[in-house]
Amino acid sequence: MVSVTASETRSRPFLPAAFRNAFVDALAMVAVLVLAGLAVFLFGGAAMQRVVTYAAIMLTAVLGLQIFSGNTGIVSFGHAAFVGLGAYATGILTMPAALQRTALRDLPPFLAGHELSFFAALAVVLVLAVLIGLLTGTPLLRLSGSSMAIATLAMLIIVYTLLVASREITRGSQPFYGVPREVGLWTAVVVASIALLAARLFRETSFGLAARAAADDERGAAAVGVDHRTARLAAWVLSAVAAMAAGAMMAQFLGAFSPRDFYFDLGFTLLAMLIVGGMSSSLGAFAGVVVTIVVVEVVRRFEGGGVVLGFQLPVLFGLTQGVLAVAMILVIWRRPTGLFGDRELDLLRRSESASIAASAEPPRRAGAGHVAADHLSRRYAGVVAVDDVTLSFDTDSITGIIGPNGAGKTTLLNMLAGDVQPSAGSVSIGMPVGKASAFRFARAGIARTFQNIRIFPRMTVLENVVVAARQVEPDLAAAEAAAMRELARMGLEAFADRPAAGLAYGLRRRLEVARALALKPRFLLLDEPAAGMNAVETAELVAILAAVRAERRIGVILIEHDMRLVMNLCERVVVIDHGRVIADGTPAEAQTNPAVVAAYLGSRTARAHMDAKTD
Amino acid sequence: MPTSLYRRHHAALCAAVFGIALTAAPALAEEIIIGAATAQTGGLAPYDQPALAGLRMALDELNAKGGLGGKYKVNLIIKDTRSDTAQTATVAQELIDAGAKIMITPCDADPSISAGQLTQPLGIPTLTLCGSAPVLTEAVGDVMFGTYPADNVQATAVADFAIAEGKKKVFLLTSPDATYTANLPEYFGKVFEKKGGTVVGRGTFTMGQPDFSAEITNIKGLADQPDLIMTAAYEPDFPAFIQQLRAAGVTIPVYGADAIGTPTIKGLGSLVDGVVFTAAGYAEPGSKLEAFNAAFAKHAGHAPESTYEVNGYEIGLILDEAVKTAGSDDPKAIRDAIANLKDFDGITGKITYAGTDRMPLRPVALMRYEGGEQKHVETVTPDAADVPAP
Repeated sequence: MVSVTASETRSRPFLPAAFRNAFVDALAMVAVLVLAGLAVFLFGGAAMQRVVTYAAIMLTAVLGLQIFSGNTGIVSFGHAAFVGLGAYATGILTMPAALQRTALRDLPPFLAGHELSFFAALAVVLVLAVLIGLLTGTPLLRLSGSSMAIATLAMLIIVYTLLVASREITRGSQPFYGVPREVGLWTAVVVASIALLAARLFRETSFGLAARAAADDERGAAAVGVDHRTARLAAWVLSAVAAMAAGAMMAQFLGAFSPRDFYFDLGFTLLAMLIVGGMSSSLGAFAGVVVTIVVVEVVRRFEGGGVVLGFQLPVLFGLTQGVLAVAMILVIWRRPTGLFGDRELDLLRRSESASIAASAEPPRRAGAGHVAADHLSRRYAGVVAVDDVTLSFDTDSITGIIGPNGAGKTTLLNMLAGDVQPSAGSVSIGMPVGKASAFRFARAGIARTFQNIRIFPRMTVLENVVVAARQVEPDLAAAEAAAMRELARMGLEAFADRPAAGLAYGLRRRLEVARALALKPRFLLLDEPAAGMNAVETAELVAILAAVRAERRIGVILIEHDMRLVMNLCERVVVIDHGRVIADGTPAEAQTNPAVVAAYLGSRTARAHMDAKTD
Repeated sequence: MPTSLYRRHHAALCAAVFGIALTAAPALAEEIIIGAATAQTGGLAPYDQPALAGLRMALDELNAKGGLGGKYKVNLIIKDTRSDTAQTATVAQELIDAGAKIMITPCDADPSISAGQLTQPLGIPTLTLCGSAPVLTEAVGDVMFGTYPADNVQATAVADFAIAEGKKKVFLLTSPDATYTANLPEYFGKVFEKKGGTVVGRGTFTMGQPDFSAEITNIKGLADQPDLIMTAAYEPDFPAFIQQLRAAGVTIPVYGADAIGTPTIKGLGSLVDGVVFTAAGYAEPGSKLEAFNAAFAKHAGHAPESTYEVNGYEIGLILDEAVKTAGSDDPKAIRDAIANLKDFDGITGKITYAGTDRMPLRPVALMRYEGGEQKHVETVTPDAADVPAP
């Protein structure tokens, strides 16, 4: 143990590989932003500086949206509301007291006369953003998918209505004016740079990984211990913080604004920019803002007419919106996932992931544990899928569950994995987990795979396993090392950087097993692991499972129709038919059990079969 | 200086543009640049465009006579704000960089304030095309001027008229969704109460709401029945409201302001009989306004759509007068000259800035719908002392 720890510390660099890669990516984008800032600072007029300042503010807001929508896959229309709240909060906090007395006569005393500097106000706004994020996120995130997206729309309308109605504080629908204008080019560039770093790094944090996994496959994510609600809430809060920071800058950039400046128009502008660039990456957010602003700025200069390359251009106001609309249609048509899709720059990914040293084998599970089903039943609207099953499984054993199609095997496995709530009876997994749920069971050492593979297609092979490893390892570096270990075990280390969607079928099955093993489980539940595999692949899988079981002494429970695999690998076979256990014993016992034969072949054939044998 | 490079580029571009627009006046030393940061596209364009058309007509005529004050040829640079506040500030900055000495801003308060905050430190006089929120000039400072009759001026004119008619009790119907709909009836209420009337009730609506039954029930249930309902609602709220009000058997007269002087509302026929509203001017036979309307039709190829055109034209006249008084193209001198303008003879009547907070005192035409027609009642210029503070 001691030597293992020593070698791990020696080989572990300052930051996890994913963070180093993300950091370099973010720095590259920051460098572009700073260079653009420098260029207009040195060579541009005041107007060009305003354009870049505005671009940096919009970038901060779009990154805010990306942190949530990009990682969770849930579109939000509501981020314009956060921008608005940030703007009004900053406006009130930074407004000169003298002006406040005339412009906001009825301002509640606790809000009046603060006259903060921009950065002091920003600090207050960020704290406020966390509170508002938690307050709005907690109810919103109980919903899922499209209903959540609609709920963000509702939030936008509610916030707008509140801003209009709170006349004493916001001047209602009238212009809110008198905000000092301290935000210049460099303030905006610095805040946008921090937002870039935050957005790029967040993807790789445990929350970011978990949110992305849940976006790709919610059940698959729960099966590796991902609590998608917590992950989504974290993404929501951070995105609110970035959007409100953008709002704080917007307030001081505009100087005068009213609630309708932070309504549907802004919400859709933010979304459009993000969709053009590519929603699922911070590079997409960056590119979307840059491309939109560049197109607008270039085209705008020609709409007043003029001479270009000897051609006389007509005066054509509206050209900007026209070109922008055509550009968007082109992007959505030619590249439905945006200019950069789900790709980050990943400047260092190849070299950095190659530098990850696989960690040593985890220590063998000491002592025995068990999973027990106690009078377990599950009914679906009158159909009894599992009927009063009592079974117990030990670690350091391999059990096969067989039975005809529709016998209730998968339902039983789902209940053992915490994925399906029993209608009656209970499952005990040897440790208290509170409320039975798939992710809690996974974290408590019950890992599983699915009949129809549930990997995370838009994440890399390595990330797929890191998501799981991160649930049981103390930090990302340890998770990366553990993930590499499991990939190596399953013979997948060469594919670590590939998107999982690109893997061949057999490799996907292995990836799912590697992901399950990264949880350092006590029990591994496999639902038809060999389905769709050829004989060679099946043989390899059998060898790997046998080795894992021998090395780690975990309990393996598998559902399988491939009888050769079951008979070769399993020490115990449980036969289920019509939701009931009809046989439980060694493979040989099961094979000769008349009830089993009857279940598989029909009772008459079974009798004939038995008669033939006794003869 | 790199900045000068940028400016040269712009100057070249602008010269190219206005080479066409103003049939190639040679660049004289005595040229004054007017920057127009106005909405060519988007939601504000229907207001900015007619006003800008009037302004361009005035400037074309003035240039033909030697320019502002007979001396300074106008180079009008127009840039599109896309009806967006941030974009307005950006193009205003570009216009300042291009050397604008006078700034024209959109018909709305937010973008006008945003642009005004850039021109205020430089002392560049800034005029909103038809923004009528009285708070506008106060929010920016001494360079910002309104040109259209302000909401509180319109409200005072209507209130004076109602009092003169003998109305005693008013119900105010407002909507917090826009400055105009929220404040204009309240200004009315202030003047009305000051002159002996009482506000017997208030109701609010959401812009775009289809059903006014709650407000109408509220009005019917008032113990003290009003003899007048004042609102600044416009389309589609005003037609919906009055239709449902009359259907409910309420015959109390309804007064409004300039936003209901539209063909749609005229088209409601007898339903709006007796509704009093305002306009920036009324073209009486033989009046200057009638002559302007004819001249504009000749110039633009179509009759004016509203009084925004004449308002824009008058901005040109005001600037001409101010430059004449200032005797120079110095922005600060021009600003002072505008601020001291008194009883200037415009097209619609006399325009006064002196003694105001830069929202002009100017005549308001009171109109009434009768038998599906707009009938002129009278044209009045409210007393500055009666106009409520913004």
